[in-house]
Amino acid sequence: MVYLQKALARNPRVDFLVELVQMVSGLLLVVFLWTHMLFVAAIWLGVGAFNALAHFMDQYRLLPATVVFLVLVFCAHIGAVIRRVPRQWQEQKIVWRHAKLIRHADTWSWLFQAVTGAAILALAIVHMAVVSYAGINAGLSSMRVHDGFLAFYAALLLLSEYHASVGLYRVFVKWGWVRRSSLKRVLGAISVLTVAIGAITLGIFYSLGAQA
Amino acid sequence: MARELTFRIFRFNPDQPDVKPRLQDYRLTEEPGMTLFVVLNKLREEQDPSLRFDFVCRAAICGSCGMLVNGRPTLACKTLTKDLPAVTTLMPLPVFKLLGDLSVDTGVWFREMSLRTEAWIHTDQVFDPNAEEERMDNAVALQIYEAERCIECGCCIGGCATANIKPEFIGAAGVNRVARFMLDPRDKRSDAEYFEVVGTEEGVFGCVGLMACDDNCPVGIPLRDQLAYVRRKMAAAGWKLRRRAPAARA
Amino acid sequence: MRDHEVLVTDVLVIGAGLAGERAAIEAALAGLNVTILSLVPPRRSHSSAAQGGMQASLGNTAMGKGDSPDIHFVDTVKGSDWGCDQDVARLFVETAPVAVREMAHWGVPWTRVTLEKRVYDGKVIEEDPAKVGLIAARNFGGTAKWRTCYTADGTGHTLLYTMDSVVLKLGVTVHDRVEAIRLIHDGEQCFGAVVRCLRTGALRAYVARTTVIASGGYGRLYGASTNAVINEGSGMALALDTGVVPLGNMEAVQFHPTGIVPSWILITEGARGDGGYLLDKNLHRFMPDYEPVKKELASRDVVSRRIMQHIRAGYGVDSPYGPHVWLDIRHLGERHIRTNLREIAAICQNFNGIDPVHDLIPVRPTQHYSMGGVRTNIHGQAYGMYNLFALGEAACWDLHGFNRLGGNSLAETVVAGKIVGAAIARQTKETSPDVRWPLVYEHLAEESARIERLRARAVRPGGENVYALRHEMEQILSENVGIFRTEGPLVEACDKLRELHRRAQDIRLRGEGRGADPELGAALRLPGMIRLALCIAKGALERKESRGSHYREDYPKRDDVNWLKRTLAYWPAGADEPELRYEPVKITELPPGDRGYGESSSFAATAGRQDAGANPS
Ligand SMILES: Cc1cc2nc3c(=O)[nH]c(=O)nc-3n(C[C@H](O)[C@H](O)[C@H](O)COP(=O)(O)OP(=O)(O)OC[C@H]3O[C@@H](n4cnc5c(N)ncnc54)[C@H](O)[C@@H]3O)c2cc1C
Ligand code: HEM
Ligand code: HEM
Ligand code: SF4
Ligand code: F3S
Ligand code: FES
Repeated sequence: MVYLQKALARNPRVDFLVELVQMVSGLLLVVFLWTHMLFVAAIWLGVGAFNALAHFMDQYRLLPATVVFLVLVFCAHIGAVIRRVPRQWQEQKIVWRHAKLIRHADTWSWLFQAVTGAAILALAIVHMAVVSYAGINAGLSSMRVHDGFLAFYAALLLLSEYHASVGLYRVFVKWGWVRRSSLKRVLGAISVLTVAIGAITLGIFYSLGAQA
Repeated sequence: MARELTFRIFRFNPDQPDVKPRLQDYRLTEEPGMTLFVVLNKLREEQDPSLRFDFVCRAAICGSCGMLVNGRPTLACKTLTKDLPAVTTLMPLPVFKLLGDLSVDTGVWFREMSLRTEAWIHTDQVFDPNAEEERMDNAVALQIYEAERCIECGCCIGGCATANIKPEFIGAAGVNRVARFMLDPRDKRSDAEYFEVVGTEEGVFGCVGLMACDDNCPVGIPLRDQLAYVRRKMAAAGWKLRRRAPAARA
Repeated sequence: MRDHEVLVTDVLVIGAGLAGERAAIEAALAGLNVTILSLVPPRRSHSSAAQGGMQASLGNTAMGKGDSPDIHFVDTVKGSDWGCDQDVARLFVETAPVAVREMAHWGVPWTRVTLEKRVYDGKVIEEDPAKVGLIAARNFGGTAKWRTCYTADGTGHTLLYTMDSVVLKLGVTVHDRVEAIRLIHDGEQCFGAVVRCLRTGALRAYVARTTVIASGGYGRLYGASTNAVINEGSGMALALDTGVVPLGNMEAVQFHPTGIVPSWILITEGARGDGGYLLDKNLHRFMPDYEPVKKELASRDVVSRRIMQHIRAGYGVDSPYGPHVWLDIRHLGERHIRTNLREIAAICQNFNGIDPVHDLIPVRPTQHYSMGGVRTNIHGQAYGMYNLFALGEAACWDLHGFNRLGGNSLAETVVAGKIVGAAIARQTKETSPDVRWPLVYEHLAEESARIERLRARAVRPGGENVYALRHEMEQILSENVGIFRTEGPLVEACDKLRELHRRAQDIRLRGEGRGADPELGAALRLPGMIRLALCIAKGALERKESRGSHYREDYPKRDDVNWLKRTLAYWPAGADEPELRYEPVKITELPPGDRGYGESSSFAATAGRQDAGANPS
C-alpha cells in the first residue's frame, strides 16, 4: 500500500542504508571481537607480555578510543538491528510459535541471535565498565576471573562467539558469496577454534588467580 | 503389512467463528503409492464431507496444495505416505487468509504481490505481427525460465518468519518474481526503477536470511541465489542512486 | 431474492485458462469492461500443466526447415482424420506463427535455437548459424516437421503466467474461486451467468452483454485422466442445459499414450519427441513393428491403440494396477533429462520413486483431451444462442476433428483467443446493454431453490451418495467407452448412465451442506457431468465407423460415405437422454485420404479385425 504521507516522507534509500549499517557494524564488531580475543590471549606468552600490551594500550590512550569506537558501533548496530526484533508481544508469540511449528534450524538460529544479542549488550556493558574503571593488568584480570567472574566470562565468550558466527553466516548467505553448507562448516570450525582459544585464556587467568 | 495412519488435521470454519480452531484426528489404512491427495480425498468421501482443502493438478505443477505437513511447508499432492510417520499433523499455510480447514487464499496474495511488483514486461515496443521474433540467447531464456518456474504455492512465504510478522513483505517468491524480470532483456525497467519496487524493507532488504524459503521450495528454485542476485543488484543501484529525487520515473 | 449480489459487465468470460484470458485481453484492448471468472486462481488453471509445447510453423530449426502453414494444415487435417472444419484449420495455421511471436513479445521465454550439437535417432542435427537465437521447436507426434515451440518443460506454465501478466497489466477484473452454475438466458439470447462463490457459498449473478465459455475439458468424467481435478466439464454442461446449444463430437475423446501408472499423471509427448522408446515386457521396442515410419511418434490415437493392442497380445508388464508398458528415455543422457525433461524426472521421482536417468517408466494410455465441446462457428459463436461464445478445450470450434495433434491445443487456445476475442469485441459493441431483471432473479431463484432442496434433504435418511454415484460414472466410461469400443458395452453404458442420471436426482448430502461446503458443490455438479457422459456414450454408440480416436472394433473402418459428419448433441428440457443430430464436415482443400502414418483407412480395417479376433472382449 502506498500512502501520500509515507510516499513524501520516504527517502527510497533508507532501508538500504540501514541494512548496510547493520552489516558493517556487525562486521566491525566481529573484527573487534576476534582481535580482542588475540590481545587477551597474550597471557599465553606470560604475564610480562600481557602487561606490556596493556601498558602499550594505556600509553597511546587506546583504551578510551576503543570504548568510544565500541559505543558508536554498538549504537549503530543496535539501532539498525532493532527494527528486525519482534517488538510487540503478539509478534513475539507468532515468531516463537512459528519456529516451533516449522522446526527449521536457520529460523531457530536467528531467534537465538536476537536473544544472544540482547544478552551480550547487558554483559558487555558491565564488562566494559569494569575493565575501564578498574584497569587492566595481568594481576587484576586474573583476580577478576578467579574471584567470581569466571562464569560471567564463559557466558560472554559463548554468547558472543555464537552471535558472531551466526551473524557472519547471515551476511554471507544474504549476499550470496559462498555455498550454504560449506559456509556452515567453515564457520562452525572457526567458532570452535575461537571458543577454545578463549577458554584456554580464561583457564590461564584462573590458574594465575589461584596462585595469587 | 499395511500401517494404520493417523492424520491430525487443523479444522476451522470461518462461517462458524464461535467454534474454536482445533486439531481433529482421522484414521485410515495405508495403501501402496498413497499420497496426501489420495488420503484427503478418501477422508472427505468416506469420513467427513465437510473437510476443506485445495488440489487442482495433483501433479506438483499448479501450486494449489501447499500446507504444513508435520510443520514443514510442502505440496501435499507430492507427499507420499510412505515417507510419513504413523501420526501426521496437517496445518494450513500461515500468512495467507484462511478459507477453512487446510484451504488458504494464496491466489489473492500472489495477485497483490504481482501488482505491487508490476510483474509484467515493461516496454514501449509495439508488437509487429509481420516481423521475425526478436532474438534471444538460449542461455538467457533458460535463466529466465529458472525463475519463472515458481508455481506460487506459497511454501516460501508460509515458512518465512519475517513474512509471518510483516504482512507487507513480498517474500522470496516476490523477490524471485522481480529477478525474473530483471533477467529479461525485454523488460526495459532500469535498476533505479526496480529499486523503487524492491530496494526496501518490504522487498529484498526485509529478508533477514532465514533460508526457510530456500530449504522448502518444492520446485527447487535456487531462492538463495535469486535473493542474493537481487540484493546485490539493488545494493549497487542504491549506492548509485545517491541523492536522486525519489519520484522521477516513467 | 434481492439479497443476492448482481454484477454487471460488458463481457463475462467463464474460465481463466489460456483461452479465456487471451480472449479477455482482446476484448479489453478493444476498450470493453471484461470480467473473468475462475474456479481457482487463474495461474492454477489446467493450461499451466501443459509441458510439451505449442505448434506454429516458424521453421527455425534444422528439422523444421521449409515448414509452412500449408504443411501444418495438412498435418492437422490428417491428424483429425478429416473430422475438422478445414476453414477453421486454415485460419488457425495462418495465425499460429503470429500468436507464438506475440507471446514472445509479451514475455514467454521460449527455448531458442543454439548451435549445440545434438544426436537424434542416430543422426547428428546441425542447426543453421543464421537461425541462432530464434524460437526453437521440438518433434511431436503426427507432424511432418519439427514445429512444436516450447519452453524447456514448462510451456503451458510460462504461457499462462505470461498471459496472466498481461491481464494484470491491463487491469482486467478477475474473480477467482467462483463457479458458474447456470447461464442466464431466455432460450434465444444469453445474458450472463449465475455463479456460486466457493469461498462463502453465496450465489451471485453476473450480467453481461456477451458471455464466453472457456472452461476447459471434461477429463475427470473418466476416473483415470491426466487432467486436473477441476476439469469436470462444467462449462459444457452449462451450455447443454440451455436445451438449445449443442455439444459437438462428444464421442471424440483422446487417450494419451503415456500416463504414468498408477497416478495417471502425464508423461509429456516431449519424452518421445526427444527420442524416447516404448518397450514391452521383454524390453523389446515394439512400435517400429507396427509403425515402421513414425514409430513412437505416430499420432496419439494410433500409438495408444498400438500399446493396448500389444498389451492384449500378452506383451504387457503386469502390475497391481493392471498391465502397462515401459517408456525408456535413459539413452537421452543425464544432461538432457535434467534440463529439457526435468519435470518428467521430477514426476517419476515424486510419484513413483524412480529416476528416469537409470530406470524405466511404467506407462499406459490414459484419458487426456476432449475434442468435443460447445459447438461454435468459426467466430466462436455458440450454435443456437445469441451472445454466447465458446473457445479453448471447452469448445468444438472444430480444429481437431477426431484427434488433436500434440501441441495443437495450446496453439488453439492462443489463436482462438485472438480471433474469437476480436469477434466477441465486435459483437459486444453491437449489443446494447439490456438487463432483464426478472429473468436474472428467476434464474437466481431456481438455483437457490436447488441448493435449498439439497440442504433440506441432508437430514433425511436414504438417498444417494454423491461420491459413490460419481465413481460409478467414472467406471462406466472407463470400461465401456474407452479406447476400443463395441456395440454391446456401449449399449450397456447408455443404459447404466441413464439410470445414474435418474438416481442423481435423489442425492442426499451426508454433511450439512453449509456455505461453501465441497460436498454440496459436488452434488450440484454431478447431474450435469452424467449428462455429458451420456452424450459421449450415445455419440459413440451411434457413430458406426472408426475415425481418429473413436475406434469401433465392430466398425474398424473409416466410413466417409456415411459418417463424414459431426455429431451434435442436444439435451431438450426435461429429456432423460440427449438427442443427436448431425451436420456435414466442411472440406475445402484436402479431400479425405490416407493419414500416412500406420493405420491408413484400409489398413486399419484388417489390423483391427485381426486384433479384435485375437482378443475378443
Ligand atoms: C497434462 C496435460 C498436458 C498437456 N500438454 C499439452 C501440450 O504439451 N501441448 C498442447 O498443445 N496441449 C497440451 N494439453 C492440452 C492443453 O493444455 C489444454 O487443452 C488447454 O490448456 C486448455 O486450455 P483452456 O484455456 O481451454 O482451459 P483450462 O486451462 O483448463 O482453463 C479452464 C478454466 O475454466 C475455469 N472454469 C471451469 N469451469 C468453470 C466454472 N463452472 N465456473 C468458473 N470457471 C470455470 C477454470 O477455473 C479454469 O480457469 C495438455 C493437457 C494436459 C491435461
Ligand atoms: C559482540 C558484539 C556483536 C557482534 C560481533 C555482532 C555481530 C553481528 C553480525 C555480523 C550480524 C549480521 C548482520 C547482518 O545480517 O547484516 C549481527 C546481526 C544481529 N545482531 Fe549483532 N553483533 C553484536 C552485538 C549485538 C548486540 C549487543 C545486539 C543486541 C541488541 C545484537 C543484535 C543483533 C541482531 C538481532 C541481529 C540480526 C539482525 C538481522 O538478522 O537482521 N548484536 N550481529
Ligand atoms: C573497551 C573494550 C574492552 C576491553 C578493554 C576489554 C578488555 C578485556 C580484558 C582485559 C579481558 C581479560 C579479563 C579481565 O580483565 O577481566 C577481557 C576478557 C573478555 N572480554 Fe573484553 N574487553 C572489551 C570489550 C569486550 C566486548 C565488547 C566483548 C564482547 C562482546 C568482550 C568480551 C570478552 C570476553 C568473552 C572475555 C573473556 C576472555 C576470553 O575468553 O578470551 N570484551 N576483555
Ligand atoms: S518460490 Fe518456490 S516455494 Fe515460493 S511460491 Fe514459488 S514455488 Fe512456492
Ligand atoms: S525465509 Fe524469509 S527472511 Fe529471507 S531468506 Fe527466505 S525470505
Ligand atoms: S495439486 Fe497442484 S501442486 Fe499439488
